[in-house]
Order: sequence, then C-alpha cells, then structure tokens
Amino acid sequence: MIELIIRRTGLLVLVLLAVSFMTFMIVNVLPGDVTAVVLGDTASPQQAALLRERLGLNEPVLGRYIGWLADMLRGNFGVSLLYNVPIAPMLAGRLLNSTILAVLALAVAIPVAMGLGVFAAMHRGSTADRVITAMTAVTFSVPEFVKGLALILIFGIWLQILPGSSLLAPGQSPFSDPAILVLPVAVVAISMLPYFVQITRAGMIDAFASDYVRTAILKGMPRHVVALKHALRNGILPAVAVIGMTLGNALGGLVVVETVFSYSGIGQLMVSAINARDIPIIQSTVMIVAATYAVGNLLADVVSIALNPRLRP
Amino acid sequence: MTIAMIPMPIAARVAPTLAVEGLSIDYGPVQAVRNVSLAIAPGEAYGLIGESGSGKSTVAYAVMGYLNSGRVSGGRVVLNGADVFAMGERGLEAVRGSVVSMVFQDPMNALNPSIRVGEQIAEGIRRHAGLDRRAARKRTLELIGLVNLPDPEAITLRYPHQLSGGQLQRIVIAMALALEPKLLVLDEPTTGLDVTTEAVILDLIADIKARSNVALLFISHNLGVVARMCDRVGVLYAGTLVEEGRTDDLLQRPHHPYTRGLIDAMPSVTAAREMVGIPGRLPDLAQVPDGCIFQDRCVLATADCRHGVIPMETIGPGHSSRCLRWRSCATELAPARPAVPRASLAGMAPRLEVADLTRDFPGAPLFPFFRSRPVVQALRGVSLDVREGETVAIVGESGSGKSTFGRLVAGLDRPGGGRILFDGRDISALARARGRDDQRDVQFVFQNPHSALNPHHSVEAIIGRPLRLYLGLRGRALRERVLEILTAVRLGERYLTRAPRELSGGEKQRVCIARAFAANPKLVICDEPTSALDISVQAAILQELRRLQRESENQTSYLFITHDLGVVRQIADRVAVMYLGEIVEFGETADIFTAPQHPYTEALLAAVPEIGRAEQANRRDMRLEGPLPKPTNPPTGCGFHTRCPRVLGPLCETMPPKQSKAEGHWLKCHIPIAQLRRLQESG
Ligand code: SF4
Ligand code: SF4
Repeated sequence: MIELIIRRTGLLVLVLLAVSFMTFMIVNVLPGDVTAVVLGDTASPQQAALLRERLGLNEPVLGRYIGWLADMLRGNFGVSLLYNVPIAPMLAGRLLNSTILAVLALAVAIPVAMGLGVFAAMHRGSTADRVITAMTAVTFSVPEFVKGLALILIFGIWLQILPGSSLLAPGQSPFSDPAILVLPVAVVAISMLPYFVQITRAGMIDAFASDYVRTAILKGMPRHVVALKHALRNGILPAVAVIGMTLGNALGGLVVVETVFSYSGIGQLMVSAINARDIPIIQSTVMIVAATYAVGNLLADVVSIALNPRLRP
Repeated sequence: MTIAMIPMPIAARVAPTLAVEGLSIDYGPVQAVRNVSLAIAPGEAYGLIGESGSGKSTVAYAVMGYLNSGRVSGGRVVLNGADVFAMGERGLEAVRGSVVSMVFQDPMNALNPSIRVGEQIAEGIRRHAGLDRRAARKRTLELIGLVNLPDPEAITLRYPHQLSGGQLQRIVIAMALALEPKLLVLDEPTTGLDVTTEAVILDLIADIKARSNVALLFISHNLGVVARMCDRVGVLYAGTLVEEGRTDDLLQRPHHPYTRGLIDAMPSVTAAREMVGIPGRLPDLAQVPDGCIFQDRCVLATADCRHGVIPMETIGPGHSSRCLRWRSCATELAPARPAVPRASLAGMAPRLEVADLTRDFPGAPLFPFFRSRPVVQALRGVSLDVREGETVAIVGESGSGKSTFGRLVAGLDRPGGGRILFDGRDISALARARGRDDQRDVQFVFQNPHSALNPHHSVEAIIGRPLRLYLGLRGRALRERVLEILTAVRLGERYLTRAPRELSGGEKQRVCIARAFAANPKLVICDEPTSALDISVQAAILQELRRLQRESENQTSYLFITHDLGVVRQIADRVAVMYLGEIVEFGETADIFTAPQHPYTEALLAAVPEIGRAEQANRRDMRLEGPLPKPTNPPTGCGFHTRCPRVLGPLCETMPPKQSKAEGHWLKCHIPIAQLRRLQESG
C-alpha cells in the first residue's frame, strides 16, 4: 500500500512538472509579442517595455522557468497585472471558497448517489430503477449553467426563498451567510450525481451476480447482510475510482457555477483573469486546478486501496 | 459375479438425508433437468457424473433451494424430511449453511475478496448457532485446524488473494463444515486445482466423511475422482439420469452406452489405450427428442429407441439403467483396446533443439527510473529436443514454466538466454521476425479455442488465411485445400460458412487444429489443447491429432504441453516433467511411467485419482505439503527440496546429479537410481 502511494505520488510530481512547464510556456508561445496581447495594440513602447520588465521577459527562458517554479514552491505566485497585488493571498481565499463549495457538493452527492445506485441495483428493472435511470439521464444532458439559471429562476426569483447570487465581499467567509451556498452546492452536486449513480448501480449489479454473493446466500445470510456486507464493499469500488477521475469534470463545472452565481472562487477568478489577460493569475490558477485534480485522483486511489484488500500486498 | 454379495443400498433401509423426487427444472424453453430422482442416506457419498450441459450443477443448487433464473416444473427435493421448495425465503435462510452447505468449484471467486477469511467462516456460525464473537472465533480456529491449515490465528486474518487455491478450498470446506450439516454438496470441488493439491483436498474430504455421518452429494465430471470418493454414482446426460449404481459395480460393469463411452474416453495413467471419443453432440434441450435422450450418439440405437419414454430398469441390486438394450452393452460394445505401440523414433533427425533456455520476468519498478522488484524466474535453463514425427509432452503443474516454454518456441515471446534451433536454424526471434518458412513450419494450438478464433470470420476464411499467406493459394485450389483439411478434422463442407459462435467447443478446437495444419507444418505446439473440453470430446480430438501426425507429409512433430498425466500417457513418445522452471526428468513415456522415477514424478502419479486404482495405490506418503516456493526466489540446489517427500537433508540443497535408468532417459536427484528403485518398489 505504502509502495503504491509512493509510486503514485512520484507520478503526480512528474505530471505536475509537465503541466507547470506547459503553463509557463503560455507566455512564451503566444503568437507575437506578449505585451501586445496583454496591453492591446494601442499601448506605447514604454508601457510595453515596462510590462516586459515586470514579466521578466528579458531573461533566458530556462532560468525564468526555474525561478518561477522555485517561487511558486515557496508560495510566491507573482503579482497580478490587473490588481497589482501579490497573487498568493488572493488565491488562498478563493481556493478556500472553492474547496468549501466542492467538498459540500461531494458530501451531498456521494451518499445520495450511493443510496440511489444501490437501491436501483437491488431493485433492478423495477419502476423505481427506471425512474432513477431516466432522471440521471436527464440531469446528465442538461448543462450546468442551465441548471444554475433554472434554480435561480425557481428559488431566487419566483419563490424568493434563496439568494440568486452568491456575491461575497473580499475576505468574507461563505459561512457567514450559509443561504448563499445552497444553490451553488445543489447545482454542483446534481451535476455529479448521474455519473456516480450509474457507476454505483453497475458495480452493485456486478457484485450481486458474483460467486461470492451466491456463497453468502447459500451460507444462509439474510438479504440485507448479503447486500450491505458482501455486495456493497466490492460494488462501490469502481464508484470510488470514478469519483476521483470525474473530479476534473467537477472542477470544470465549478468554473461555470461560480460564474453563474458570481461566487468568488478560483474558477471565477480564472475566468475573470482570462478576460483581463492577467497572465500571472492565469498561470497560477491553472497550476492550482491541475494540482487539485492530481491530488484528488491520488486520494481516490488511496481510498480505493484502503477499501480493496486485493490491491494490498 | 459378485453381485449377490453386494448389500442393498443403505438408502433403502434408513430415512434418507436427501431425496430428489422426479425433479424437473427449466430455464425458459430449455429443459435443463428432467425427472431426476435420487436418494442419499446419512453418511453416504453419492457421485453425480456428467459433462457440460448435463444439468449436474443445476441439481446441486436446486438441492439448496437456489434456482437462479430456473423454474421447477415438476418434482420436489426433500432435505432431512422437509420439502425445500415449500420453505420460503426465511426457511431457506435457516437451512442453508446449517443443514445443507456447499463446497464450490472455484474457491477464489467463491470467497469475498474484501472480507478476511476468518470472518467469512465466523459470520455463518454467529448467524445460525447464535454464538457471540468470542465463541464463534474459537470455533473458527478449531475448524481451520480441522482442515489442516497451519497457524490458524494468522490464517483467519488473511484475505482470499493472499492464499493459494488449495488453502482457499480448505477455507471453503471449513466454512461448509462449520455447523456440522447433514448434507454437504460438493460442486466440482477440485476442478481447477493442481493434481497434487487435488489429492490433498480429496484426502481431507475422505477423512471428514470417515469421521462424521454427513451425507455427500459429489458433483464431478471426473470419473477418477468419483471412483475414489463415492459409494454410489449416478450418471447424468442432457438432464436425464441414465444410469445409477454402486461405484465399483457401475464403473467396472457399465450398462449404459453413455457411461461406457465416458469410461472409454478417460485417459488412463496406468496403461496406454486406444482412446475413443463419443461422436456427435448434445441434443437441443429446448426441443428434447422423443424416446431415448442419447439416441443420436448411440451405436446400439434401434427403432424402438426413438419413441416413447425409456424407463429406468433395475438390472441388478442397486443398479439401474435407462437403456432398452442394456443387456447388449457388455456383449456388443467393443472392449477398449490397448494402444498400438509406436515404432521407436530414436534414429530420427532432431527437428527442434532447445538448449539452456531461460526467461525472467522483471517485476514492475517501484518508482519510475528506480530499481525494479524481484525477478520471476520462469525458466531456469531448459534443454530439450524433439525429433521428426515425434510427440514430446511437457508436463507440470501451474507455475512450472511449461506454458512460458511453449510461448518461446512458438515465438510469442523472446528468451532471456539460450538457443532454440529448428531444423538447425536459430529461431529464438519473435514469430513475426522469423522467416516465412519458419512461420509456416511452426504452428500452434491453444487451450482456449473460444478466444483463438476471430469471431467475425467464417471457418473458410480462418483456415484459408495461412494457405493464402504461406502457400499463395487462390480461387479453386484454395477452396479445395480448405475442404480437404476440413474433412481431415472431420468437419464437412457445411461448416465452411459458419462463424465461430455457431460452433461447439470441440468443433472450434478442430478448426484451430485445421488452421494449424493447413500449410503442412513441421512442428505444432499444443498448449493444453483439450483441457477446456469435455472428456468425450477430448478423446476424439487427441485421436485426431495422432491421426493427422501419422498421415502428415512432413512427419509433423508435436510439442504437447499439459498438466494431465493421463493424456501424456496416451499421446506422448517422450515426456519432460517440469517443476519450478526446470526439467527434473526426461525420457521415453514408458520409462517415465514406471519406477524408479524422480520423486516429483512419483508424487504426481500418486496424486492422480483413477478408476480401478486400489486405495493403497493412493499413496498418502507421497502427498506434497507446503506451498510452491516463490519463483522470485527458488530454492537452492534441488528446486524440489522444500516439498520432496523423499528429501535427504542438507545434501538436497546442493545441485543434484543427472542419472539415467535407461537409454535416453535422465532424472536429477541425489538418491541413486538403485536406491530409488528399492524405495519405490517397497511402496
Ligand atoms: S435406449 Fe437405445 S438409444 Fe438409448 S442408450 Fe439404449 S440403445 Fe442407445
Ligand atoms: S535431490 Fe533430494 S529433494 Fe531433490 S528430488 Fe532428490 S531426494 Fe528430493
């Protein structure tokens, strides 16, 4: 187990290095002069020179890359072009907000998905099973921003029981007004559900068809013990792995949801940075998202191993 | 005749533990089991023999009230006085595991991979006996000791994947015995285990039977296993019980053509016989023919056999047969003939010469660019030769390296060291890097015919491919040759357009053989070509292989890889016995099968259960205990010393010398040949 984790961590480091290199190269591979891209055509040569200086574009590429990497490892993400403030503190606050959103969504989605998946598998072919499958198909095919807007319309504008926007003042914790979290969390969770439900259902159906479940039945174990002790343990393993892998999608969904609800998370920051061509922020947020994705995958692996004795020596 | 001496079956005198009365089970339109009746008395072992499609497993599971998608269309199962199908879910839960329990075919899959084996035994005890955790645990440890597993404390904490197949099956047996059931159902309990492991498991079951009054329903396709384990036997064919009797009576004097066919198809380790398969295939169980179920394949069939219901007739005390012409079985069916001895091939030119072949499989590295894990030494210096027109068998258990060897010669893998010479040319390269002639000359037939054929091609395309590729045949000439070869493997013209999925297992294997033979190969590597097939089909395929060899223009040689010593005896001219990546003994078949032998060969032979083999031939002193050593770290000196029943001591940790008892025969052991002879002849 330890060995596997070490191996995966090693891989993770390699992946992140590759990502960082590519991210760094964004500045260098942009066609034409970066300064023109950032400042527009109307910029004066002095402004351009100043920007080149600030971006450090006058030094050799490799040296800059290593310097940038070293800075990042030390928590120095550079200075925002737009706001002209150090990026790190801003990132930290945003990251925390996004994490709160993601974790709450997972906390809602995983138990609900597993419950629905297991139930559907146990009553395979029944009306309930078909309703669950149909619902997951529908929610799967509707894009996040539509779901978000629909919820805003229903709960924010018609019923007026929940705020339709989740604007936060700088430094304000989302928990200071939990009501603003409800709709974004709901949208992210609903987006995660269909996949999780279907994988859990498929895993459980396989488990129910397995020889060891037959053994448990022929040992005289009652139905609920067979389902919850013998089938569940093996049936949810694929779901755990998939949750790790879909974290990327979930993060993508987060960007949309944060934008729709004007929730100040990292996704929203990334979008606004792209709009403003704030290159240091783009680089930092991409790195953060990549790192989160990789670590999420690693965590899913570790949980899989913990649940699956076959992966242990 | 000794029939008068045979007592009435016990079942007639005591209330039976299990009575199956006229049981019929359907799966949709398929009538899988039809009107089967049998009874098992307390303490009795009843063997249910059948090939695939016989319905034997359906009966086994029905006894536990487990039908899956099946439907009982008639009859009942009375277990310990109670009707199983009238119990309801609660009733079945109470009975399963406590009154009747099961030992499964494939222990690796039958145990839950995510639960420690101790808990898997204990949960049933807690559930049925109402014991608390402490008491259930105590009983679990007791049971693990009972099935002869060392260090019960440690074993209970293991997960299934950490134990070997033999250990797992003991766990399953311990689980089944936990509550001292009245009936134990064993569904092919040793199929898939190595023969030496099988012997140990059978010993264990025999001991359990001797010690308790449990009734056994023993399901098997292996007549030898049933002969060793059971008091009475029933033979199932296509869902119908065709013959029933006392084991020795039925197997020595079968009175149904099917039983007789099965017995003749069994490859024997004690004598070389002309093997005879049963022609034809199973009837369609969705449209069961009127009359005898076996009529299409029966050589004795007459017009009377084709209509009405064939009754089960009593033909002697406790012996009955569902055949109208049972009296003719003994007289009209030709007795099994001894095999025609083959001419010695000692003077023939060598076709394949392998010298010092090695192959390692490095473990995956722990960390990219870091040191790799220990190396699996699959082959540790194997030398062997095959002559023109000769069949050399490589026999060994799982982990012996025999399949790796076959793959290297076939060019599916590259050796780590050593040489492979074919007709004097070095062919140590991968098949696709070999010259066209070498590709054509060296062909192979694999174990699993189901995955070896491209499902999207017709039989004609499959067999035609090597002909086009290697012989450049086109049009009429191609078609004629395809037909010729198809006829040679006894598949007619009507098979040309069929797709693999329309063929039975035996037919698929015939197509594989036809493909291998299409372009007149000089060497065919057969890797367990019959082990996925029923024995009646196996016999026919082996016969076919021998005939093709006899008739081949090129004096085709076979490299025949198998775990089945009976098959080896029937088909091989010479035999190499492999253990842990090395050949421990090599010589003419007759020499290998007679004493003195290498202790491993001796142990292998002692483990084979066979009809008519006396109980004393079941030499328990030659059982292999302990696990197979890890191929990453094989023992020093004689690789067999960790398990050898005749081990001498520290001497065996040094390299044993090669000794010879006959021309062209050698074995590697420290015990001198003369002393081996004394030891083995005294038993
Ligand atoms: S009843 Fe007829 S067809 Fe059936 S086994 Fe006997 S002889 Fe053969
Ligand atoms: S050398 Fe020793 S351990 Fe090896 S087979 Fe001979 S007696 Fe057994």
